[in-house]
Amino acid sequence: MRRLLNLVGIGLITVLAVVAVVPVVSVVVDIYMKGIAAIGRLGGLWTFLTDIPPSPTATAGGVGSQLVGSLFMTALGAAVGVLIGFPVGVYIGEYRREALAHLSRGVVQTLVEFPTLAVGLFVVSLFGLMRTEVNQIAAPVSERLAAALGDWVTYFVGELGPYNAYIGAAALGLVMMPYVALFTASSYASIVQPLREAAYSISSSEFGAVFVVLRKVVWRAVLTSFLLGTAKIAGETAPLLLTAFGNRYYAPFTGQTGAVSLWIYSAALQPYQVQVDSAYGAAAVLLTVVLAIFIVAKAVGRHV
Amino acid sequence: MLGLALIIFGLSYLAAVATLLALRFRVGMRLVGAVPLVLLTLMLGLFGLYAAPAFAKYGPGLVVSAEWNPPREAYGLLPALLGTLLTSAVAIAIAVPLALSAAVALNEFLPGLLREVVGSLMDLTAAMPTVIYGLWGLFTLGPFLQRLINGVSSLLGLGVRMEAPVSLLTAGVLLGVVITPYIAAIVREGYALIPKAIEEAIYAVGATRLEAVLLKLRYVRGYVLGGLFLGLGRAMGETVAVAMVVGGNYVHPTLNLLSPGITISSLIALQFPESSGYAISVLFAAAFLLAAVGLGLNAMGVYLIRRWGT
Repeated sequence: MRRLLNLVGIGLITVLAVVAVVPVVSVVVDIYMKGIAAIGRLGGLWTFLTDIPPSPTATAGGVGSQLVGSLFMTALGAAVGVLIGFPVGVYIGEYRREALAHLSRGVVQTLVEFPTLAVGLFVVSLFGLMRTEVNQIAAPVSERLAAALGDWVTYFVGELGPYNAYIGAAALGLVMMPYVALFTASSYASIVQPLREAAYSISSSEFGAVFVVLRKVVWRAVLTSFLLGTAKIAGETAPLLLTAFGNRYYAPFTGQTGAVSLWIYSAALQPYQVQVDSAYGAAAVLLTVVLAIFIVAKAVGRHV
Repeated sequence: MLGLALIIFGLSYLAAVATLLALRFRVGMRLVGAVPLVLLTLMLGLFGLYAAPAFAKYGPGLVVSAEWNPPREAYGLLPALLGTLLTSAVAIAIAVPLALSAAVALNEFLPGLLREVVGSLMDLTAAMPTVIYGLWGLFTLGPFLQRLINGVSSLLGLGVRMEAPVSLLTAGVLLGVVITPYIAAIVREGYALIPKAIEEAIYAVGATRLEAVLLKLRYVRGYVLGGLFLGLGRAMGETVAVAMVVGGNYVHPTLNLLSPGITISSLIALQFPESSGYAISVLFAAAFLLAAVGLGLNAMGVYLIRRWGT
């Protein structure tokens, strides 16, 4: 009886495990098969990576403008995420006996899976409060920059619209921050005591010990968290929905900006086959990028 | 005015951090460590501030009314709340058995190298952009479920029950697929921490394979429960994947899983860009609810993992 139960139970677990893996494999295969076919139909890889998204009546098109927006916001967002997340993580890990560090750690842990839409809403409403003031400060600066460097600067600076790439990047940075903070904290916490004492004894200041010497001990773990966080925000859609808003064209980052994930979302809901095709192509491109970052992160993290 | 105050606050915070890091390092670090707290307070405060008019105008009617009527400025969040509850319930019901089985099978039955490879793949799918899942759900999962349900129901003589591929059920199943690898990753993390001595003890008293698995799962119950809550938090907060397959019906509240519906997060995503007046405030109230529930579930999950984890 027990052996029968054992067989049935193990069999059930195996079957369920296979059922768990099938849909996920199906997603990847489905996206690549339809995506590659769609890229072929829309004019080949080069066109697809540089053109603007197809209009309902077009036969060719791509996601060039969306890629530029994604790249810009992801890079800026990753920088924000590391600049805030790394010091916070150092504090939580290195001074973990303080009560504030405990509290901060709890907050960061709950923020990891915080609804990202709420983060986007927070950033856009916060910016909405400050927009007039920010523009009053930024407008003369951007004019002077444009006069000194030429007109291309207006692609990056100028009067900010209610939706722009910068608040999109800020939202992505806030989404990424807790990941970097937690990884950094756990790697700082795992530094052995003799190494820590050595670091303090050879540095002239506590700042140097914590941020320069000890950083070199844990840099691989921090780099891994940075890459994993970047892979995550590269595909985020919800925080951009209310901040960058989306845009089909190559446009200044001071106004509405497109992103690959945003285009997938909006194009998939269109009734035109050519746009649905471009959504599949864009999904294949996005998946490739995320996969590539993920593999690099795994390779870096292997030696931790 | 408030904006100027916020800018001044932000700049002085930065300046204070920079000076203190140079002068009194520890105090400066404390200021750095408080950043997540400040951000969270600011977020809840801002949502509360914007949501206040809606709470004042509608009171409890906000969560029990089902109207969505912009010309009359009558708004209720009932359909969205029901939709969120239903889809997350379906998602958890699907994801927990699958994730547990996947975690167990991976750690128990697969040999070393294969375990590494499949484990990495599972981790990758846990990090895959949800908009990609949404695309798959819209064009592959939705039609598949529709055929399946209608096939079964016409066999039973009930006729066509699911009229469109987009429905609350599709959203729930899709969410289940999205959170399965995530919960599995958390359970595997706990599973890897089971001491060798305990494992040997289990087999030493003559347990069969299944009994050993059940005992081990009980040993890591903190991780199992924690994963459940974190998965639930993720399911409730997920936006785009749900918005793509849920159908966007924010007028008629429904308990029928097979008809189109709406969830809180997809309501915000679909309505916010074209709202004005009280609708904005109502959406902020929805966001406030979403943030509060999300924080509560995540805190619960983290607490459970910490309590029973190590």
